[in-house]
Amino acid sequence: MKYAALKFFLLETGNIFRFAIRFFKEGFKPRYEFAEFLKQCYNIGNTSLPIVTTTGLIMGLVITIQSHPAMEAFGTESWLPSIVSVSLVREIVPVITALICAGKIGSSIGAELGSMKVTEQIDSMEVSGTNPFKYLVVTRVLAATLMVPLLIVLSDTISLYGAFIGVNINQIISFHLFANQVFQKLSFGDVLPSVIKALFFGFAIGIIGCYKGYNTQNGTEGVGKAANSAVVISTFVVFFIDLIAAQIADILHIL
Amino acid sequence: MEEVTTYSTDNIIEIIGLKKSFGKNCVLNNFNLNVKQGENVVVIGKSGAGKSVLIKCIVGLMVQDSGSIKVFGDEVSKLSHDDLDVMRAKVGFLFQSNALYDSMTVRENLEFPLRRHWIKSTKENIGDLVMEALTNVGLAETINMKPAELSGGMKKRIALARTLILKPKIILYDEPTSGLDPVTGKEISKLILEVQKKYNAASIIISHDLNCAKITSNKIVILVDGTCYAMGTYQELSASSDKKVNQFFD
Ligand SMILES: Nc1ncnc2c1ncn2[C@@H]1O[C@H](COP(=O)(O)OP(=O)(O)OP(=O)(O)O)[C@@H](O)[C@H]1O
Ligand SMILES: [Mg+2]
Repeated sequence: MKYAALKFFLLETGNIFRFAIRFFKEGFKPRYEFAEFLKQCYNIGNTSLPIVTTTGLIMGLVITIQSHPAMEAFGTESWLPSIVSVSLVREIVPVITALICAGKIGSSIGAELGSMKVTEQIDSMEVSGTNPFKYLVVTRVLAATLMVPLLIVLSDTISLYGAFIGVNINQIISFHLFANQVFQKLSFGDVLPSVIKALFFGFAIGIIGCYKGYNTQNGTEGVGKAANSAVVISTFVVFFIDLIAAQIADILHIL
Repeated sequence: MEEVTTYSTDNIIEIIGLKKSFGKNCVLNNFNLNVKQGENVVVIGKSGAGKSVLIKCIVGLMVQDSGSIKVFGDEVSKLSHDDLDVMRAKVGFLFQSNALYDSMTVRENLEFPLRRHWIKSTKENIGDLVMEALTNVGLAETINMKPAELSGGMKKRIALARTLILKPKIILYDEPTSGLDPVTGKEISKLILEVQKKYNAASIIISHDLNCAKITSNKIVILVDGTCYAMGTYQELSASSDKKVNQFFD
């Protein structure tokens, strides 16, 4: 009994890995569900756009405003754009955006597949000669893997604009000068690791949402649980990937 | 092109000693059934008797614990994934819960079974097939609606249209007339009969509706305690003096 939780955790982890392996096995065999993939990209990207851009702007603004007094105290106020932009692009924006996506995309995939499972729509696809794993899971995981990094890059850009507004609250600075200061410090070596990290965020969010939805049990009650645990697990996994990425980057000296 | 079938005298579905249990709950126990080409078999049994489980085993959605199910002469549980797919293309399955795809329109729902990669239909051809299937169930005007906009009975009829769109050789109906008014129920029963005649299809029809059983059945099977308790025509069984049989015909 004492180890029940541990056993459950290990089992669940194993099952998610098995599910991911099945994704790689089935995902690259024809036939490819291209139309459904595009539809899912549109769904995921388009519906997340407003919330991701707004939070990006707010993050840039808030981090800049809050960093200002500390930097002023050390007399390093002129470094504000470069310092803030590096921390935004490297860490804050990717992680916060991924968390938003975990909530938004994870829950919607979990609930959609879950309700399809309990109303026998997945069985129905199977007898209709369409591999439901390919049609439903592979397309959604690929779409999340592609769209989450794009959303993060977009959010990065907008957060920099937010930072520009934040800097302008205390001092007048032209956009040209601001951009100059930012890109003195911020290089391709900062953006690339964060995009690679974002690919893993997207993949994890997609796989976990699909795993939870695809294996829903116990009717409508199970659908709620599937959506809920998809969000909880993918939130945790986003932090976990972030931790691993920081370690790897540290070893490789690119972050 | 209609393929020439070789099952005219043989059993198109052959179930021998079928056993299926969920944990301790033994649902089917030594169940036997043969269905010939062009034959309609109605299965009657109490709720929870294992009727839905039976037809799910036939299409390989569930795997039996022991016993044999042969469809078109092939053992279902031994088919490879591709062969199972080919077999399923010739089998229509109406789910008890309809299982319409919520995110798709009626048209897309009906087009879905036509996506099989070896069916090379042209665009107009698909349109015609969809229209024909919808007209059969009298719902041509719903073509652009979503399932959520339909009534329960309409959903049932759309699901029926989707089941029949590939003109299957075997059709498994899970309660085709439940939730329908008597008039529509009768229409559906007649449609089932018509389909049987037109395509010389074999069907297993699960139904509690005595009218439907009377109209459609060549043979009725009564499922009690996981086995085939009694078998016969409607006339034979309704005249039976056995209590367990009689209770279904009151
Ligand atoms: N996936 C499953 N897991 C566990 N038990 C199941 C499952 N599916 C069915 N059962 C059990 O099998 C038995 C038969 O179920 P089935 O759905 O075949 O009943 P039915 O004869 O179709 O009844 P109804 O007329 O109410 O539809 C039930 O006791 C049910 O509890
Ligand atoms: Mg049933």
